Amino acid sequence: MSEDTVAATFDVYRYDPAHDTAPRYQRYTLNVSPHTPVLTALLRIRAEVDPSLTLRYSCRSAICGSCAMQINSKSRLACETHIGPEMARHGRVVVEPMRNQPVLRDLVVDQASFWRQYDLIEPHLKLDPAHPMPEGKATAMTPEQVDGFKETPRCIACAACYSACPAVEADAEFPGPMALAKLYRFVVDPRDQAHQDRLVRIQPNGLWLCLRCHLCTEACPKDVRPSERIRDLKEMAIAVQGATEHGSRHAVGFKDNIVDRGLLNEMRLVRQTYGTVGMLGQLGQGLKVWRKKPEILHKPRRIEGSEELEKIYDALDPAPKEGP
Amino acid sequence: MRLAYYPGCVAQESGKELDLATRYVCRTLGIELVEFPNFSCCGSGFVDEANEVLNVAINARNLAIAERAGLDVLTICSTCQGMLSLANLRMTDPAVRDRVEGALRPLGIEYRGSVKVKHLLRVLTEDIGLDAVKAKVRRPLAGLKVGAFYGCHLLRPADEMAWEDGEEPHAFEDLLSAVGASPVLYRGRVMCCGFPIQFVKPETASRIAGRQILDAKSHGADAMATPCPLCHLSLDAYQNKAAQAVAAPLDMPVFHLPQVVGLAFGASPEELGLPRHLVPTDPALAKIGSTAVA
Repeated sequence: MSEDTVAATFDVYRYDPAHDTAPRYQRYTLNVSPHTPVLTALLRIRAEVDPSLTLRYSCRSAICGSCAMQINSKSRLACETHIGPEMARHGRVVVEPMRNQPVLRDLVVDQASFWRQYDLIEPHLKLDPAHPMPEGKATAMTPEQVDGFKETPRCIACAACYSACPAVEADAEFPGPMALAKLYRFVVDPRDQAHQDRLVRIQPNGLWLCLRCHLCTEACPKDVRPSERIRDLKEMAIAVQGATEHGSRHAVGFKDNIVDRGLLNEMRLVRQTYGTVGMLGQLGQGLKVWRKKPEILHKPRRIEGSEELEKIYDALDPAPKEGP
Repeated sequence: MRLAYYPGCVAQESGKELDLATRYVCRTLGIELVEFPNFSCCGSGFVDEANEVLNVAINARNLAIAERAGLDVLTICSTCQGMLSLANLRMTDPAVRDRVEGALRPLGIEYRGSVKVKHLLRVLTEDIGLDAVKAKVRRPLAGLKVGAFYGCHLLRPADEMAWEDGEEPHAFEDLLSAVGASPVLYRGRVMCCGFPIQFVKPETASRIAGRQILDAKSHGADAMATPCPLCHLSLDAYQNKAAQAVAAPLDMPVFHLPQVVGLAFGASPEELGLPRHLVPTDPALAKIGSTAVA
């Protein structure tokens, strides 16, 4: 072993539903340079130790997006995750399939739900029939229009974000970070004539289930920053359609709530989101909390300088405020 | 050490126990909390969703208040920390800055961008230092296994928050070890508590909270601790709903960060507002003999 190699321990998730009753972890040990990508090590294991190890990969260069998996619980591309830092931090490299998608075998998952969500956002340009693209010519965009896409064209659909997303994990209705980042890309495309319709359709269909936890942004190997583009979609959806369901009503309600006194009026917010009748549904839990925390019924004090806040709103938020 | 104390909305009302515990810990460590009755709500991420520039402006106003006093800001909420930090960052974008300044200037408010925003966890681990924290421990929390629960906005996006690793942080575990507790590592510690969608789809929010509590429990935690009062609402005040959503009994005591530190410093449960929790903390207190202070 040369000086710059490490004895790396790999605990690899193994599961073949045709033969195994339950998943297991198989341990392999390799002497490798700390700069070795996890994918390279897995391919060595397959070539030299265990030809039955099943995984997806193709380009080995972080372009194709095939080798996303969990490495020490983080959703990552195996081809660009190096062994050294993982060994240094965890003392081993635990390799598991992506989350939120059923395992077909070992590290290979069934991506049907991921691609279904992608299809649902209709990921293609919808042109205005009155203004078809000129035959045989590209439609030019200005550099400023291209900048409007932000980082979204970089997406390689590796599904690392989908694997990392707690909203996907908890609710099948949530389209997932990748589909929404792609949606953003079409919404801001100046050639697309359906952007208003796209925003109107996505609002009640899971947009507001995003937790803005930013785990997708951490997982993304291409810095697409899905969580930040989902925020943009929310603001654009409100601008197009107003606050039409619980998520947007809550966001707009919160915004209008705090300008009054400068601090959050908790009880008023519940009424703003659910309406007076809907509030009744919250009564049982509210009582339980109130017994320990009677302040939930208090109006907050008015901050000093609350009139400054009102003027900031007047300057930057000219839209009509929703009533309480 | 003097800091502009930004308690946030929840700690001034339903989460008052967090404010109590913060004051206890800061008093013990000699951190002077300077209060500003003109600080407003940070927008809690919701204002950011509705109007990004407005959100930057209201927080630039908050930061300007601290800047005029020549103080950095102390937060005790992951979301306040995230929103105030985000305002600092977005103000470096000339297009955003122009619009915000256009709204603030007529009010005689100027923010030059000099204020650092630090959460209590960062102040304790970096500025005060773990040795100084250890020196104040009178009741080491020996034998208490605690699962830290970070809260998203304290960490992420990690390149924007520019502090800890966004998925594998260690500051909170370091602090827990310093006060004698045994930190429990579990995946859920960096996950979401579900709070942001508590009003959008409560059953999904509760399922998310329930999963993190179950995760901590299955890794042997006697209690959880959080630096965020919104996470605390999800994990404690709504724990009964979380238990229903994951169809499992939970009964997990959940501390605010300064309550854990305060207990180790010798505070009584009452001084830290522990009786205000929905889930009783007694089982965890029994493990450390909370009434006897050496």
